[in-house]
Amino acid sequence: MIRILFKTFFITIIAAGLVFAIDYNQNGRLNLSLGGEISVINPILSTDTTSSAIEGVIFSGLVKVDKNLDFVPDMARSWKVSKNGLVWTFYLKRGIKWHDGAQLTAEDVKFTFDTIMNPKVNSVRRGDYFIDGKPIVFKVIDKYTLRAILPKPFSPFIASAGMSIIPKHILQGKELDMTFFSRHPIGAGPFKFVEYKTGDHVLVTRNDDYYGGRPMLKEIMFRIIPDENTSLIALKSGEIDESGIPAKDFHPIKGVGLYKYDALLYTYLGFNLKSPKFADTRVRQALSYAVNRKQLIGLIFRGFASPAYSPSAPVSWAYSDDVHKYLYDPDKAKQLLSEAGVRDLSFTLLINHGNKEREKAATILQQQFKKIGVKMDIRVLEWSALLKVINARKDPKDYDAVLIGWSTGVDPDSYSIWHSSQYPGGLNFIGYKNPKIDKLLDAGRREQTKSSRKKIYAEMYKEITADAPYIFLWYPQVLTGVNNRVGGLSEPGPAGLMIDMEKIYIKREVK
Amino acid sequence: MRKKNKFAVFGLVVITAFCVLSIAAPIIAPYDPGEIMESEIQGPSLRHPFGTDDLGRDILSRVLYGGRISLSVAVIAVAVALTIGVLLGAVAGYYGGLLDEMIMRFTDIMLSFPTIFLILAIQSVLTPNIVNVMVVIGATSWMGIARLVRGEFLTVKERDFVEAARAIGCGNFRIIFKHILPNSMGPVIVSGTLGMAGAILTESALSFLGLGVQPPVPSWGNMLMDSQAYLIDAPWMAVIPGVFIVLAVLSLYFIGEGLRERLNPKE
Amino acid sequence: MSRYIFRRLLQLIPLLIGITLITFFVMHLAPGDPTALFTDPNIKPEELARIRVNWGLDKPVGIQYLIWLKNAARLDFGYSYISGKPVIEEIGERLPNTLLLMSVSFIIILLISIPVGVISAVKKGSWFDNLFTIISFIFMSIPTFWLALVFMLLFSLKLGWVPSFGDLSLPVAVLVISGLAGITRYQRASMLEVLNQEYIKVARAKGLPEIIVIFKHALRNALIPIITLMGLSIPDLFGGAFIIETIFAWPGMGRLGVSAVFSRNYPVIMGVTVMTAVLIVLANLIADLGYALVDPRIRYAKKE
Repeated sequence: MIRILFKTFFITIIAAGLVFAIDYNQNGRLNLSLGGEISVINPILSTDTTSSAIEGVIFSGLVKVDKNLDFVPDMARSWKVSKNGLVWTFYLKRGIKWHDGAQLTAEDVKFTFDTIMNPKVNSVRRGDYFIDGKPIVFKVIDKYTLRAILPKPFSPFIASAGMSIIPKHILQGKELDMTFFSRHPIGAGPFKFVEYKTGDHVLVTRNDDYYGGRPMLKEIMFRIIPDENTSLIALKSGEIDESGIPAKDFHPIKGVGLYKYDALLYTYLGFNLKSPKFADTRVRQALSYAVNRKQLIGLIFRGFASPAYSPSAPVSWAYSDDVHKYLYDPDKAKQLLSEAGVRDLSFTLLINHGNKEREKAATILQQQFKKIGVKMDIRVLEWSALLKVINARKDPKDYDAVLIGWSTGVDPDSYSIWHSSQYPGGLNFIGYKNPKIDKLLDAGRREQTKSSRKKIYAEMYKEITADAPYIFLWYPQVLTGVNNRVGGLSEPGPAGLMIDMEKIYIKREVK
Repeated sequence: MRKKNKFAVFGLVVITAFCVLSIAAPIIAPYDPGEIMESEIQGPSLRHPFGTDDLGRDILSRVLYGGRISLSVAVIAVAVALTIGVLLGAVAGYYGGLLDEMIMRFTDIMLSFPTIFLILAIQSVLTPNIVNVMVVIGATSWMGIARLVRGEFLTVKERDFVEAARAIGCGNFRIIFKHILPNSMGPVIVSGTLGMAGAILTESALSFLGLGVQPPVPSWGNMLMDSQAYLIDAPWMAVIPGVFIVLAVLSLYFIGEGLRERLNPKE
Repeated sequence: MSRYIFRRLLQLIPLLIGITLITFFVMHLAPGDPTALFTDPNIKPEELARIRVNWGLDKPVGIQYLIWLKNAARLDFGYSYISGKPVIEEIGERLPNTLLLMSVSFIIILLISIPVGVISAVKKGSWFDNLFTIISFIFMSIPTFWLALVFMLLFSLKLGWVPSFGDLSLPVAVLVISGLAGITRYQRASMLEVLNQEYIKVARAKGLPEIIVIFKHALRNALIPIITLMGLSIPDLFGGAFIIETIFAWPGMGRLGVSAVFSRNYPVIMGVTVMTAVLIVLANLIADLGYALVDPRIRYAKKE
């Protein structure tokens, strides 16, 4: 009797295993599209999203984010922080191999961070490893243990600890621009680099020795398709499996699943607080009341965006809804203006060239402000020219207002944007100065637990919105389509649909 | 009546119509070109004979105001090109020698540049607006005129009436401007007309790339730029400005050809 | 003959210096600079400043140009700011694509324009002539990029006959249509002029069949100005290619140049400028030589 049960059980297990084993295509190839040219396949040098999409499958870091944007172990199996918050110790998993077979150790990790911090290397991430001008020191304790010694307690460090690691045995002592490496990058991630045809595609193949388990896909083909209409057509015809979809085309497509999720960005209009035009808070509040976000989002995004009222996106764990919201009220706007004794206000808005959404927004805002008797001119500048104006180390700076965005980053610390010390040299280019906020920002970095930080930031957002230094405009949504033959997708969220590429697979064709 | 003249007349009529429409735009345009009237794109209707664009603005009004921009850019750009070209060509042709060599060398350099590339380079360096578009187009299209004028001067300067003028003591300047130049105006006018056609095309290409007239000021070129994303959904956004450009350029070509025949009766 | 070629090639040098000087200084008038590549506004300004120094951008413009010139003379055009690859390699990868696009277009233009121009001239005033005249003018009036958009809409998006990127057909079609008109009309005018010449009338008077008159006598001479015109229209063909490559995502040198201009990728801009200028001058040289080959009178004149 038991024998029969055992046999049945055994056979069932095997059958289930077989069914699953043949449930997905072992030789599946995933076709993705890239929206632009690749700059360089090197995680410490590249700054564009196109290159980082590829780097994401070739390289790995100590930690990574999950669908809730929490930090979870990747190559580090665990880590701990000392009580005083100054010493972070990371314990690496053993047996991780580089794509060329060499062992990955703590030496590689230290090498990566030291290279980024080398002033001769053109890495823009360098500043992330200096706190108030003092460097973080990395020490190798043993083959699988790395220690980071911080000059001050700094909980946002965890985000920088997620930097992709590059191989010491290949890059040590080599040319700093590392061009040979970006032509044949070696990482420790789930996929290995195969080829890169300039202007056309990048191909990567399965890394059988991946420490996270053998990836289910055989290979991934990244095709460069700069035009979003072309990309959409390729998605519809099955040439590619995934593509962004413009708002106006977001309706049912045969064989394709539609997904939308919030992005970690917000767009805003920033006032130059040092300009006499915007010195009076009532003026800024009046302009905030004059904005009809519904019309903006309707015309630009066909509704696929959410109105923004605070300096934090709803997907962030630190988000708080308890802030001063300036809901559309043109009469109140006019009233505030006359209270402030302002008539015939006119100012110039800077926007950067090449961003269609911001251009449309500027045009719409121009009309909305016209309705309350304010004249706004639009000045379009090349991106780097705009940066030069708002980053210029002078006081006051040469602009009235600017339409721009922030990617909020996985850690909610926004010290460089709101702290008074970050003007005129940092990212606080509007010149915001509020001692209460300064204190809260310092505290937010010092505290180590989420709950205490969350309280601090909630208070901060309320205070900032009361001052109306920005007109917060919208949080964009990402609209994507993925072919139904692709399985293993994550739940739609700001970390994307393919967080763990090794778990993505192509379904078996149903005959 | 020769067929060609019919074309030239057609061209003249169309261009005059365009000019009148442009000048009268503020009066005859049904709506404010910048006003956001609808909450979504609409096709041609009674209310909006040419439909609306993606921001709900009336296209008929925009195309009328756009005409003002595109046509005035053409006129001024050509004026700039003529000024530079005539001056350089006259000086080179009249004085000859080293001056001629240098000017012609410079002209050769400018001709070896792919003009679009140079204009792109310049426009991406400056902040594009109507004024520098006019200047840039003019400053990169004078070469043909310079060569033409120089050629005329070379042939004419040894002629009798020039000798006569010199004999009675006319200064060089007078000779250039009062005697030789008026006789060479024929080809220059033809060049100018054709140049205007080219200028309209160049301005629209620049605005299309975002390096010309900046939105929200409408120009035929930047209206085409906006229409790109809506080719399938709202083809009128692309077709209407395109048709206007083609008509304007075609008319100028017809006029230019007509003038060429009247001033150079060779055939 | 070879002395002539050598002299012409030597003239390239001051030409190139002139072109590169102008380009270099124009680009450096920029209020922005290559840190335009770093599109993330979260990057701290000190980092951008440091990178600027690493790239030698803090030196005076004149010095920067001389440094570039010194290296260029040794054929070292530096590295692209975006990809870090040597500029020569970047251009080398893409130039063949542009040349392919341009030569195919060129050949098709010639194949169409010569017969049409000749027939139009021979049958001047006929319905053929008038029809093609009108068509030519209309083609000349259409903005290239608009044509590109309409073709993309019709043939790729609506009809699906042709993929919208990676394929030659549409870019060539657009280039051909825009370039056809001018050359056809020129061919016609040139043929007309030749047909009016004395020696043609003599040949006819001699009783030679019309076909022989056209092909043996008229055509050869009518082709001469075409060769020059071809040389002259190379810069425009390049310019057209730049825009077309961008719209159709064709991986050629034109697109590389355009995106380099937008991102202030100076080394690549200079490389593309030099390459384009060299090609243009070479094309003109070949045109002149071809001219000499076709017209023996010129050849003898040069020998003196």
